[in-house]
Order: sequence, then structure tokens, then C-alpha cells
Amino acid sequence: MDAIDRKILNMIQKEFPLETEPYRIMGDRIGLTEDDVFERVMRLKESGVIRRIGAVFDSKKLGYASTLCAAEVPEEKIEDFVAVVNSYRGVTHNYRRRHRYNIWFTFIAPSMEEIERSLEEIRHTTGVVQIISMPATRTFKIDASFDL
Amino acid sequence: MLTEREQKVARFIQRDISGDKRPFKTLGTVLGMTEEDALNIIKALASQGIVRKFGAVLRHTRAGLTQNAMVVWAVPEDEIDFIGTKLASYREVTHCYERTPSFEEKYNLFSMIHFKGENADDRLRRIADDLGISDYIVLVTEQEFKKVSMEYF
Repeated sequence: MDAIDRKILNMIQKEFPLETEPYRIMGDRIGLTEDDVFERVMRLKESGVIRRIGAVFDSKKLGYASTLCAAEVPEEKIEDFVAVVNSYRGVTHNYRRRHRYNIWFTFIAPSMEEIERSLEEIRHTTGVVQIISMPATRTFKIDASFDL
Repeated sequence: MLTEREQKVARFIQRDISGDKRPFKTLGTVLGMTEEDALNIIKALASQGIVRKFGAVLRHTRAGLTQNAMVVWAVPEDEIDFIGTKLASYREVTHCYERTPSFEEKYNLFSMIHFKGENADDRLRRIADDLGISDYIVLVTEQEFKKVSMEYF
């Protein structure tokens, strides 16, 4: 990854031009040809720096509920617990973190009742009862773009 | 809430549209509409805020941002407005929410912080000093089990 890649990433993570020839427009902005930009973006995609290019939806505006969950899972149960949790479509992020509450995941569903039902199901299936749900009551910032 | 045409477009753009030099032309062709119609639908979704962002979603670990942590802060209820707004103003902070119930009955302000290069601890300490909040926990990411974009449609 070089300085030009970083320039492209800083631009493309904020906004991909909603135009007929998006790569030409980005190229014009930073003095590259359409082909140059396209090839670099393809390379960044292949190497895994870019996960995808597309729309990020506002779950709330679509009427969806979301929450952050933390679970206290005994070491020997982690693998099974993670497999069960990850099988839910609404679980989009799941990490192990260094704390007594060691598994943290996000859950999105059409309603909070559905999330609560799923969490109850997870407790029942896995035997892990210590799962807490902490929905956001206020958003101060939601901007997954990084200054590279 | 979304019209049938909007849903069709949404189903397409919730995934990955890279790999195509003229993605909106392809989208139109696939969905049986003109490129202009497809673009207008996306622009309308964006102007209503239903599409929060149209752009690249990165894997920060591969993009050179090595340190990544969830930091949770114990903030007095009457200061949450001020402290939340201030914390959100830092470049390194990509997400910042108040959550209820609080974690461990006191950590009510949640942030995702991405650090570039070394000295993450120093930088965090400086942010904490600046905020005047000394009670916080760094929940270091040890392993990623899942990271996907929600498929709504």
C-alpha cells in the first residue's frame, strides 16, 4: 500500500461517486486515469483492505432494532457458544475481548422483542446464561471511516 | 416503507458492487431499469438518510490501523451530553454511544477507538485527561469471530 492507495482509500471510504463513471471521477480528483484507479481498487479488494463497496444502511431508519451484547463464557464453551451466536443473521460483529465478559457481539433484528427472544434461545441452547444486552440510547458518532 | 423498486436496488447495493467499472449501468441492466433510474433511487435513499453512506467498507487491520479497542467510560449522567460530544470529536473515535443499561452498572459511554502506529496507551491517557474521566476500561480485541454487513433485504 502506497501514498496513492491511501489517498484513494481516504476518498472511497467516505464516498463512492454516484455517477455513471465513478472511477473516472475519482481519478480526475487525484490526477489518475480511470483504469489506474479501478486497478488499484481491485488490488485493494483482493488483498482484503477493502471489504466491500456499497451502501451502509441506517438500521433505525429501516425500522430495525439493534443492541450490543456481552457474555461471560467459560473457556471450554467459547467455541460452541460462538458457533451458535454467529449462526444468527442479525449478529454482524462478534469479538473476543479481554475481560470477565469475554464475548461481545452486535445484534440487529426487526424488533427488540425478536432480539430478546433470540438471546433467550441462545441462553437455552448454550447454557450460557450471563448475557447482557445494552442498546444504544443515544448516538454521538457513527462513522466507520478511518483517517489513513 | 421502501417501494418495490427501491427494495430491488437496496438488495443489490447492500452487497459488494466493486469489480465493475460501471456498476450502476450493470445494476440497471440486471434490474430492468435505466442507469439513471438506478442512480436516482440510490441518491433518494441517501438523501433520506436510509443509506447512511455509499462507499468502501475497510478492514482496518489490513489498512495499517493496528490498535483497535472498545473503550467504555463511567460518565456522570448530567455530563453525558458534553462528554459524549467531546469524545466523538476525536479523529480516532469512529463510534460513540450512550448505552442503557450501563456495563457493570456504571460504564455508560461506549466508544470504538482506532489508533495509528505506536503510543496508543499514551494517546488514550491524554484523551482521558482531556475529558476529565478517569474511570474507564479498555476492552482489547483479542479475536474476531464475525464481521459482516447486515443483509436487510
